[in-house]
Amino acid sequence: MTLPMLSGEPRVITAGTEVLGEALDAQAVPRVTVDWRPPLPGTAGDLARVLADPRRAAANARAVDRLTSARPQLAAVRPAHEVLDLPPGAFLHAGPPITWERASGPMRGALIGAMLLEGLAGDEEEAAARLAAGAVRLEPCHRHRTVGPMAGVVSRSMWMFEVRDAEHGGTAYCSLNEGLGKVLRYGAYGPEVIGRLRWMGEVLGPVLRAALELTGPLDLRALIAQALQMGDELHNRNRAATSLLVRELAPAMVEAAPRHAAEVLRFAGGNDHFFLNPGMAACKVSADAARDVPGSTLVVAMARNGTDFGVQVSGLGDRWFTGPAGVPDGLYLGAYGPADANPDIGDSTITETAGLGGFAMAAAPAIVRFVGGDVSDAVAATRSMYEITLAEHPAYQIPGLGFRGTPVGVDVTLVARTGLLPTVNTGIAGRVAGTGQVGAGLVSPPASAFTAALAALAEAVPAG
Amino acid sequence: MVQVRTGTYHDSVSLMRVSQALSGLPGVEAAMVAMATELNRGIAAELGFALPACGPADLLVALRADDGTAAARAAAELDRLLSGLAVRTAGRDAAGHPPRTVRAALREAAGTAGNGGTTANGGTAAGAAGEGDATLVLVSVPGPHAFAEALDAVEAGLPVMIFSDNVPVEQEVLLKRRAEETGALVMGPDCGTAVIGGAGLGFANVLRPGPVGIVAASGTGAQQVACLLDLAGVGVGHILGVGGRDLSAEVGGLSTLRALEAFDADPATELIVLISKPPAPEVARAVREAVEKLATPVVTAFLGPGEDDLTAAAESALRALGAEPPAWPSWPAVSPGEEPSGGEGGPGTGAAAPGEAPEAGIGSSRAAAGRRTLRGIYSGGTLCAEARLVAGTGEFTDYGDDGYTRGRAHPMIDPALRLEALAAVPSGDVVLLDVVLGHGADPDPAARLAPAVAAAVARGVSVVAALVGSEGDPQGLAAQAQALRAAGADVFASNARAARHAARLAGAR
Amino acid sequence: MRAPARTHATGAASTALRRTLESSRRPARVLAAFPSGVYLEVRSDLEPHVIAVVTGEATRLPNAMVVGDPIPRVSVGADASVGDGAIEIGSLSLRAHRWWDPAPPLGPVDPVRLAQALPVMTELCDRSPKRPGLEGNGAAGLLAEGCSEASLLRGIMAAEQLVGLGPGLTPSGDDMLAGLLVALRHLGTAAGVGRAVWLADWLAAAVTFDARGRTTPISATLLHCAARGEASGEVLAVLRGLAGRQSLESALHRLLQLGHTSGADLAWGLRIGLSSVLDLREGDRRDR
Repeated sequence: MTLPMLSGEPRVITAGTEVLGEALDAQAVPRVTVDWRPPLPGTAGDLARVLADPRRAAANARAVDRLTSARPQLAAVRPAHEVLDLPPGAFLHAGPPITWERASGPMRGALIGAMLLEGLAGDEEEAAARLAAGAVRLEPCHRHRTVGPMAGVVSRSMWMFEVRDAEHGGTAYCSLNEGLGKVLRYGAYGPEVIGRLRWMGEVLGPVLRAALELTGPLDLRALIAQALQMGDELHNRNRAATSLLVRELAPAMVEAAPRHAAEVLRFAGGNDHFFLNPGMAACKVSADAARDVPGSTLVVAMARNGTDFGVQVSGLGDRWFTGPAGVPDGLYLGAYGPADANPDIGDSTITETAGLGGFAMAAAPAIVRFVGGDVSDAVAATRSMYEITLAEHPAYQIPGLGFRGTPVGVDVTLVARTGLLPTVNTGIAGRVAGTGQVGAGLVSPPASAFTAALAALAEAVPAG
Repeated sequence: MVQVRTGTYHDSVSLMRVSQALSGLPGVEAAMVAMATELNRGIAAELGFALPACGPADLLVALRADDGTAAARAAAELDRLLSGLAVRTAGRDAAGHPPRTVRAALREAAGTAGNGGTTANGGTAAGAAGEGDATLVLVSVPGPHAFAEALDAVEAGLPVMIFSDNVPVEQEVLLKRRAEETGALVMGPDCGTAVIGGAGLGFANVLRPGPVGIVAASGTGAQQVACLLDLAGVGVGHILGVGGRDLSAEVGGLSTLRALEAFDADPATELIVLISKPPAPEVARAVREAVEKLATPVVTAFLGPGEDDLTAAAESALRALGAEPPAWPSWPAVSPGEEPSGGEGGPGTGAAAPGEAPEAGIGSSRAAAGRRTLRGIYSGGTLCAEARLVAGTGEFTDYGDDGYTRGRAHPMIDPALRLEALAAVPSGDVVLLDVVLGHGADPDPAARLAPAVAAAVARGVSVVAALVGSEGDPQGLAAQAQALRAAGADVFASNARAARHAARLAGAR
Repeated sequence: MRAPARTHATGAASTALRRTLESSRRPARVLAAFPSGVYLEVRSDLEPHVIAVVTGEATRLPNAMVVGDPIPRVSVGADASVGDGAIEIGSLSLRAHRWWDPAPPLGPVDPVRLAQALPVMTELCDRSPKRPGLEGNGAAGLLAEGCSEASLLRGIMAAEQLVGLGPGLTPSGDDMLAGLLVALRHLGTAAGVGRAVWLADWLAAAVTFDARGRTTPISATLLHCAARGEASGEVLAVLRGLAGRQSLESALHRLLQLGHTSGADLAWGLRIGLSSVLDLREGDRRDR
């Protein structure tokens, strides 16, 4: 064996005692200093065990390669009851599993709205009573290859984006975006909310379906890559991506549904977050490709239900590891303030799971106010995520960082080692059901979700 | 005053320096600034401080002073010292985002190298592809956390020196096995000394580069041999430390075998010196077999009964390279009243060497009085073991042993324990001690040792010092020797010769 | 008036400097000053009599002391001193805390490998936009011919014409010769071609004989270094690349970036040296 360090000039990385590094400085030895800190409290033993797992390195390489090589394509738009295992009397919701008792205001509001939409209750009181009585089965979206923003409530009659992974063959779903203001996903269920949902089922969904049948599948990987270069981070800013999507679909809409095209284009074009939902499905189908690699410590889902923040890990199947959802720190609309905010909610953290959103903050200088006001804060947010991720995305690149790939693939062991938690961009829901959106900002996931996952990974390490 | 500060982390050595500085302030009775690990909480409790709830991620400040003024002064000084540490850490990286793991540091380096040639400064050579790549990782985080950082290096195929101790042996074995797959080399854990391309890591001397490669399971052993070779004008290219446990049955000499191979493949290495305490028998066999297969000659020093001492190993190495071993430098004690000969003349390599003339000087007259107890007061483990073997008598203590370094700095940096021991030596006894120079060691060890030596000599104690250093060492070999001999110690560059001399003074030989 | 306080700094010095540094203190003056380095001329017959004090970013010349911290601004002509273990420039006092070898042995190299490396190196140099300063010069051509035929007369004649030829701090002719001397010595030793080392000895003697009078002080010192096989890190890396111990392409790329034409001149000298070693080996074999 040869050791390159025996010939040529030494260059050293130092981690630990600073005097040893200073002695190297005195010898003019070039070095990089690691700003080392102890790992999250109580994780040392689990870390040692998990890091020693002989499967880990290869498993993570494989898992993150699947995540980053996925080629999501927008294939179709279809009603939920056609594509999901969603019998009457069953709803999907965002985040890890939740019961009515533990559900927060906006989650309850959205569930009530879905009851009204599906005709399972005549009014609010009846809906709430039936839900409290357990008349409806509640399951997480993630269990059904689905993601939903904010409350993420999906019921039979809603229409879904269907995204297929052309590389690995997976499929994922997300509902259609209702726009801003009083909307179901923020827990509003007034007549205009239900009315809009009906219109989405009767007009928007079918028009999109017809247009997509004409265009054929749309390459979302390429679209997301372009949007990043146009100032979106694909979670709190989707303006460029929405424009690109509308541009792709507009001619086909006009051809397929001339009577409704203008109406649909006005709706989609007037909602800067229209792309959030197909984008989330694209992220979901990519993250799902990385699931179930034994020994892998890669996070394949981060999601919140308004009460708990949960993560799932590739090597641990569909187990959830949860901690209390935090209240986002951000900017508030109008007279709203932190006291009006609900704890963190929604599956939209699938964007961060796939290397977008808060992880791609440096790509979106237009919304740096959410992260502290400065472009340098945005760059710092993205840079710090390279610390806890396994790869840099080959297609999703950030112009401002010299076209470096976005940090992608959160590794539970790196979170524990650095104590750095994923940077999550998010909308803020009002805590009272029916209020709607009150702001947007940043939120920190609970460390306990990651340390619990680490402990489970340690238990799963084969003996010997 | 007891304070817990959250969100602040500093390494233990930096904090020990802060604690030391505060303890030295007037009116301060006790001061402890440390991360609130279980160990440190225990020490603070022993010091009589009542602690609030805190954990290893918190910075614990415990201060006891005579009065409020002293306490306020100490608190102000504490803030000044801590902010100094913070500035130093932050100032390191212009971008303001120092990496937090070895893995991230490797990734940053690779990322920069990949972007190649973007450096604006066209007049210089930097910035080209591959230029910024690290060649070595030095890990000195607390032992329980060293595995993760070291593994990052090993998985990247990079050599790693693990200075940290208290790393479980199964982690050591795992790292070394993994290193075989990736082409890395694991130096350590508990590897205190390495020299790579002339660069000293940990406790290491300033050596001239040259044809000798040293593989060492013992840090101070390697320092002794390298310094003797350097004094003889023969250079040492590299010292690859392998950690004190490498040649145990459990580890099986994995790193030793790799280091031997690496030197054999290195065209600049003409001779290999292998230094270790006696290995486990089956490991010794494996190493011997490996040595026989090498094209490069190997001089082996397995320190044990019946084996060569370190000086003899250095001499064998010199002969193998066709050089005649010189008379090793020594500096006889200056008797009280006698004028020390000036530093200009250099060490008394020939004429008045105390080893050569045991009947001369202050030692012999007392030796006649009968047997005296020889007390070895050492900072280097291997030097201590060697001296014990060579002297064949006496009571030896290695103050560098884990038992003495828990919660305090190594005796090569902080002489306090050895000074206490020296002060307690009864009149008439013989003291043998080591003084190790080089990077990482006390910047002026003689300054604190000399008064204690002089006091001991004045009480009728004989003092013999093994001075392990090279002419290039920052402390100045000659100046240190002069200071020690002026205090009344007989000083030797060879530890083995110092031990023989001390044994003679004690009347054992 | 009190003298300004001394600032002490440390760094890594070439072993070529050890004798000069350890002998007693001699006066020196600042010959040239750049942001990344200072050249000092020492009043001494010892070589190197010019010492480069450089930061880590600068080219690590064989006569260099590398320091970690930025070098304070000094003006050309300012007083300095070297000796008694230290280099003193103004109020700055520098000591070596590390020594590095500017002429590390390359170890044995199979001549077949060197033969394979020659066309690769030629192609990489030809493709580079960095051109040597004396391209097309007759003396350069003569040097190449003389060396490959082991014609001492023609080689020395050409070498004498080349010393100091060209503009700048290190004239192109000197850089070429330095590359040639280093290649002949190291590659000759590595491939066991005694005649190449013999040729290096003779050329070195001829070139260094009156170098101080014929070229700039820094260039003269670098020729003295090259005569002993001492070279910058960039040149040594190319030698390792030719020996197959690291990537030749990246090493050559770095070398070619040096200075205006310096890197290309050094590379040309190395090429002539490499090709001579191969030709002389044929000669050695025929003689046997």
